[in-house]
Amino acid sequence: MKILSPQGLHYPITVTEVAKKRDDAVQRSSVLFSYYYESTVTEGDKWGDEKEVKKKFPARFNASNEGTVTAWFIKAGSVIQRPGVALLEISEPCTHETQFGGLCVECGKDMTAVDYLTKDRDSDRAQVNMTHDNTALLVSHREAFRAEEDSKRRLLTAKKLSLIVDLDQTVIHTTCERTIAEWKADPENPNYEAVKDVECFQLADDNVANVAANWYYVKMRPGLKDFFDRVSKMYEMHIYTMATRAYAQEVARIIDPERKYFGDRILSRDENYTDKLKSLHRLFPNNTDMAVIIDDRADIWHYSENLIRVPVFNFFPGAGDINASFLPKQQELVTTSGKSKAPEKPAVKDTAESEGEDAQIVSIAGKPTETTPAETANGDLPELGQQLISMVTGDKPEVLEEQVKEQEKVIISQLTERPLLQKQLELDKEDKEVELNEDSPEVENGDSQSTEHHKHRHSLLHDDDRGLDIVEANLRRVHDAFYDEYHRAKPVPPGGRVAELKGGKSPKKRNLSEHVPSVTALMPQIKEEVLEGTVIVFSGIIPLGMDVENSDFALWIRSFGAQISLNINKNTTHVIANPDRKTTKVKKAARYPQIKIVNAEWMFQCCTRWERVNEQPYLIEVDAADRGGSPLGDLEDDSLAVSGDDDEAESPVLDLSAQKWQALDDELQAFMDESDDEEDPSASETESVGSETSARADGKQNKRKRKRATRSTDVSETEDSDASVDSTSKLQKRKKRTIERVTSLTNVVSADKSSGLPSPETTGPEEGQGEEEMDAEATGPAAAPAAVDNDDDDGLEAQFRAGFESSEGEDNV
Amino acid sequence: MFFLKELEKTIQLHPSYFGPLIRSHIHRELLTKEEGSSTGKYTIVCIMDSFEVSEGLVLPGTGSAQYTVHYKAIVWRPYKGEVMDGVVTSVIRAGFFVDCGSLQAFVGRTMIPPEITFDANATPPQWTDNAEQSIEKGTNIRLKVKGLRSEVDKMYAIGTIKEDYLGSLNHTN
Repeated sequence: MKILSPQGLHYPITVTEVAKKRDDAVQRSSVLFSYYYESTVTEGDKWGDEKEVKKKFPARFNASNEGTVTAWFIKAGSVIQRPGVALLEISEPCTHETQFGGLCVECGKDMTAVDYLTKDRDSDRAQVNMTHDNTALLVSHREAFRAEEDSKRRLLTAKKLSLIVDLDQTVIHTTCERTIAEWKADPENPNYEAVKDVECFQLADDNVANVAANWYYVKMRPGLKDFFDRVSKMYEMHIYTMATRAYAQEVARIIDPERKYFGDRILSRDENYTDKLKSLHRLFPNNTDMAVIIDDRADIWHYSENLIRVPVFNFFPGAGDINASFLPKQQELVTTSGKSKAPEKPAVKDTAESEGEDAQIVSIAGKPTETTPAETANGDLPELGQQLISMVTGDKPEVLEEQVKEQEKVIISQLTERPLLQKQLELDKEDKEVELNEDSPEVENGDSQSTEHHKHRHSLLHDDDRGLDIVEANLRRVHDAFYDEYHRAKPVPPGGRVAELKGGKSPKKRNLSEHVPSVTALMPQIKEEVLEGTVIVFSGIIPLGMDVENSDFALWIRSFGAQISLNINKNTTHVIANPDRKTTKVKKAARYPQIKIVNAEWMFQCCTRWERVNEQPYLIEVDAADRGGSPLGDLEDDSLAVSGDDDEAESPVLDLSAQKWQALDDELQAFMDESDDEEDPSASETESVGSETSARADGKQNKRKRKRATRSTDVSETEDSDASVDSTSKLQKRKKRTIERVTSLTNVVSADKSSGLPSPETTGPEEGQGEEEMDAEATGPAAAPAAVDNDDDDGLEAQFRAGFESSEGEDNV
Repeated sequence: MFFLKELEKTIQLHPSYFGPLIRSHIHRELLTKEEGSSTGKYTIVCIMDSFEVSEGLVLPGTGSAQYTVHYKAIVWRPYKGEVMDGVVTSVIRAGFFVDCGSLQAFVGRTMIPPEITFDANATPPQWTDNAEQSIEKGTNIRLKVKGLRSEVDKMYAIGTIKEDYLGSLNHTN
């Protein structure tokens, strides 16, 4: 170890004598050399006179480490001017490269001891933790590198890669609801087939207070055993989960009873330093070239390039991920506010379930319908801000406690409310109703078979998830690509300059890293081919107020080579829209036949299968009326300016057909009838959102949408009150609303009130754009951007202002 | 090494326990709280039956009573250079972990005789000399403590098996 001149000496110093010769043994704290330094001091004589005197002070330099001196860089008489100059080199008997619990593994010395000689703490020498199941064992970077090279060589000879496997919702799904045990014991139950292979366990050291001996029911993803069997031939597998160690161990016992797939390569929350993120560097500190991850969430991996995102495995509807409270809040993917859903979603869900085949597709894609119950189960406040807060304060003990409590709450609710049982009962009831309804036609045609068919109770759980097949195909692809590349690169001796530099060395002796391809580079390459050349616009998918570019969806689809655009322009190829709502963007896109309007399912399929899926089954039906509109070349304008909507708004007016005029009249009538609603303060608040995001003077559309606007305002009102019932988010929402109010105030100030005010009726146009509002409300009032000045007394200028701001609003749709 | 040590413990008792059985309550409290606990220096293995309870003192404000209990206990304290037996809990490339009661020890690669090598491809992974000695998870092992460090409620040790009569205790022959 080289010893440098330290900070804090009185430079310049002059060496007077070197105390140790080369190859001398040095004890800790023994003198290495002596030196002197000069300083001025004030001296007084006996007459009381003071004067400044320059004096020499001798001093000694002590060794901070033991060892033997191997080289001196100074000699007697050398002057050292500043800190950081090399003085001598000492070779240490032990470099403390591996440390366990603050002790050096090689020499057994305490590494945490600090005294007056300590310059760098010995414990700083080993800071890399690469052991799965122990946090006390740390190694130095050099040692870690060596270990990695070792395992790399081993993997290459075995023709394998490393695979990090997440547990919850990737390969298994766990619930605590004891209904499962009852179903499992009852062969008559419609769910029996699905749950008969569910395994259960208890955790001895369960920290869920008051819920002693809690049972966990684990459902393995269909085909898991075979999946592991085949994948383990290509990959060396590790478990990396955010659950506790005990839980991970139990689950590993279930999915790998012989310990042949994972061995002891299990990493749990207890060994992960942060609660919020998973990091490849925790296991592979220097080199992640050969590591592949499968997980159902990308955000906790920081959208790592090594990640293969797996379709969520959601076997127990509504159970979610019981360990999710320790992860950062999931970004709310699709606008799933209670309001817009309250009327429609349950219906959608029920049909999906009673049809018996839909539920699984749903879980393959992690469609909004499924994520919703999961999130509500976790008592979510999925605002981005909240997420950030929880990220920042992540390691505080109170937060951890809170998370534990949250998890506890989830489990208790699963135990007491038993949502699955309730759902099955509901389903049964529905079946009965169907049966009753069907009775009459049956009598008519006397078909006994259909009677039997209907007697069959529909089951809530479906055991037909095929997610693993897709994952396996992807894993195989990566593995093959890696080893193809590896074998192609291997026989070729390093060409050109590399060979020159290497001299006559045989290719076998080359550094391993030279010809080993990197998964980090290969996987994006494979993925980017999938949707290359597509330009995608989201509409009604990402909640308003969220940064589209950095939303989970956008990051995901962009990793497949697609480009994200905020507005429809002539390059747009796909619009991913919410089928339940018709946004302006959809309307606009509908006029261009080359733009495909698809639902989010298409995107999920593309991104999980890694292939460009045929859009046909996912196309959203668009009214012929919307299709009929003429493009009129306004696309070019749009691509230039966000405010291009103005042009677009005018053009359709030109070719209105007779029945359209009729429709318009009807709507105008409806609008006039409802105009009173405008006085409602909250209504104006929401409307303002619409105006902010919408284009100006959209003469054709606004009146039609007027109706919808008012309706949605009403609903948003109800949602507000709903939200305030919810105790967890109450404060949050109120806070948000206060903030909104503040912003609206500032905007009012900036608006010029002196401008000619139109009558309330003429402000109608600005309340158009019903869909935009729907978007806004769908994210809940909290997510809506600052509500602006849209009370009726704001004039045209305010509208223009809002027009400028509309670019912001548009961005978020 | 094991010691018989006199110890003292302050126990607070909730008023609901006041009554004729108070002594047995204190005893139970003592056993559950103290037995098996580690102070960082030593572990309390077993508390002797005879113990003295001081007069109870009701704490102002809470109503709880405070007792000082004097008792004798068998404690275990590891020393540097001590030879002890343990069970292997985990085997990795850098060495293996051993549980010696309340003490967690690690035996590093340099502390293992050179003829015993790591075999990562075996299931489970093991340190083996390809003859009679093989060290895997669950193996009983005898080791010598090379270094010791204690934290507030935990002790860490570095062990070696690079001396005579140390190493695996379950020989296959």
